[in-house]
Amino acid sequence: MRFFKIFSRHTTLMILVVWSILPFAWAVQSSIKFTRDVAQREPVLWGYETTSSAYNKFWLDDDEINMYSVMWFIVAFVVAAAVIGLVGRWISRGGSTGVKQAVGTVILAITSIALVRVLLIWLRERDQFSLWESEGGLATTLGVVATIVFGILVPILFIVFSFIERESGWPYFSTVAVVLGIGLWWFPRVFEVEDNYWFFVNSIIVTVLTMLISISIGVLAGYALARYSGISGAVILIIALAFRALPRTAFVLPYYFAAQKLGILDTRLVIVMALVAVNQPFTIWMFRTFFMDVPKEMEEAAMMDGATRLEAFRKVIVPIMWPGIIATSLFTLLLAYNEYLFVRVLAPTNWTLPVAIVSLTAGESSRTLTEAAAASVSITLPIIIVIILFQKHLVKGLGAGAVKG
Amino acid sequence: MNRRTFWGFTLPSVGVMLVLMVFPLVTTLWFSLHRLKIEDIKDGGATWIGFDNYRELLGDEQFWAALRFTLVFVAVTVPLHMIIGLGVSLLLDKVTKGRAIYMAALLLPFIVTPVVGTVIYKDLFERGGLLFWLYEVITDTPFAVTAGNVKWLIIIQSVWHVMPFSMITFFAGLQTLPASRIEAAAIDGASYWRNLWHVVLPHLRVLLLFVALISIMDAYRVYDSVFVFAGDRFTEAHTLQVYNVEQVLDPNIGRLGKGYAIAVLNIVGIFVVLIPFLYKSYKDQIAERL
Repeated sequence: MRFFKIFSRHTTLMILVVWSILPFAWAVQSSIKFTRDVAQREPVLWGYETTSSAYNKFWLDDDEINMYSVMWFIVAFVVAAAVIGLVGRWISRGGSTGVKQAVGTVILAITSIALVRVLLIWLRERDQFSLWESEGGLATTLGVVATIVFGILVPILFIVFSFIERESGWPYFSTVAVVLGIGLWWFPRVFEVEDNYWFFVNSIIVTVLTMLISISIGVLAGYALARYSGISGAVILIIALAFRALPRTAFVLPYYFAAQKLGILDTRLVIVMALVAVNQPFTIWMFRTFFMDVPKEMEEAAMMDGATRLEAFRKVIVPIMWPGIIATSLFTLLLAYNEYLFVRVLAPTNWTLPVAIVSLTAGESSRTLTEAAAASVSITLPIIIVIILFQKHLVKGLGAGAVKG
Repeated sequence: MNRRTFWGFTLPSVGVMLVLMVFPLVTTLWFSLHRLKIEDIKDGGATWIGFDNYRELLGDEQFWAALRFTLVFVAVTVPLHMIIGLGVSLLLDKVTKGRAIYMAALLLPFIVTPVVGTVIYKDLFERGGLLFWLYEVITDTPFAVTAGNVKWLIIIQSVWHVMPFSMITFFAGLQTLPASRIEAAAIDGASYWRNLWHVVLPHLRVLLLFVALISIMDAYRVYDSVFVFAGDRFTEAHTLQVYNVEQVLDPNIGRLGKGYAIAVLNIVGIFVVLIPFLYKSYKDQIAERL
């Protein structure tokens, strides 16, 4: 009887899991099927190919290229990011903080940019843009293989360690971001890319800017709202709550009007501004909830020692608030990366990825099922990776925001 | 914290909200009383027409259809995903082995970009999709998305998308339920269902209210999935938001003034539901400060 109970629980959960992941799983498998025309689409359950031409079609403007060379490019940059990040951590080891870390990061960033520039010039002189497509370059191939072989153990260990010691590992994140940024910048110089690539770059820029601005102004306001006991605090909170409830269209139409008037329609700036604004109510409520848990005595002790409110906030409160900041950032990231309506209205041509995929599937475009699936998978993969790495924080954040209501 | 530091800290955030939220709302209200076409924005060709936009809307059959479907959508999805979410969270609470994996898998629909979620879900029902194939095998007729079933497909997709939110929230709430209360109930010989009704649900009362409120807000303003699913093909399955945006962006219509008027009606509609709740939160906030 007891066994039966446990068994039925697991069975029910597994059915629910299947229901949850079925569309995504189906998209993954159909993205590697043979490409077929819309008219000929048949419900075949086999017929896979290994060259991933659907991905190629979505990202690259060059049907000849093999996606494996693209994969090597990505692997090389991830490895480079990991190695440089490791060096960055090694430099800033031993409890050094602030200025030293920043200087180390900047030096590393400049060094790596310089290295890549040199490499790029060298490639250009050899009149051989496409490193991975070259027929001769044995040395190059060997170099790449060596990098990967040496790189495979290091990055795995590295990723594991740095995520265990996340709080102390911040310089690593910035250096990795710099290196991956170089990768993004270099990629279209090696491969001929489709417009979708630039929409992806747009997505990243919009997401990162929205996160930075929204979190940095939201954290200040959330802190003040948790500590101040005047009536105006209550009024701000309630008005923010009311804004949280309003439909997006109430904001997007005025933005459209204003952007049209000011001539900033179709820029990333206007999308970021719109996203920061609609995200503000949620951010300040979330931060307020987190700050209510931090005892007042913490910063009062620091202020007794002569620190100003802002110093106490920065040196005492922010360090223990990282989990809260990460959780709120994750929600902001989901909001900005997934936004569709704002981008559709405010950017008629300068899209981000969600708009790109809808235009791919809508209307009478000659898309194939596999291509749409490949697009879906490539759009969601980055966000799934980020969320898996930070799942604990996301769940905690959802719980914290909720339990206090 | 004194008044000056408070305003110093909140100024950036409040400033953003004032400029980018309060100000747009005022312009919305003002231009909803004007005739304004998109192509006239540059030369400021707005003409005052009083309440004509509103009068026209109240006589527009498509507006009423959109409102009806929006209300049905809210009324069906909100209870449905809350019940499923509650059930799953209760199950997850009982299971200890593999809980993290279940959670990660169940969280997936919530993370996936909504438009992408809709596209991949829709492809299951199209030629070449798994459910299309299953349907054909079972009933021997090919499945077709029609005006009749598209609304139900939208609703099911939406439940699929938001269920993880209520699941995680209720799960977090269940973790705070003291074990002693369940044990006490068990000693009294209460059955599982009585226990659920008299101990667990009262404990979750605040959370149920919270989730219901958030879901009503979010379901009321649903846009992404409906637009992708219905598109131009099934205009009868448009919700208020889709109708609103189409009135402005559709090159044949392009009426910003009318769009503003719909937005104003939308705001009024959501506030009728929300005012009691906002009032209550305000009272709570004041009580906290005394």
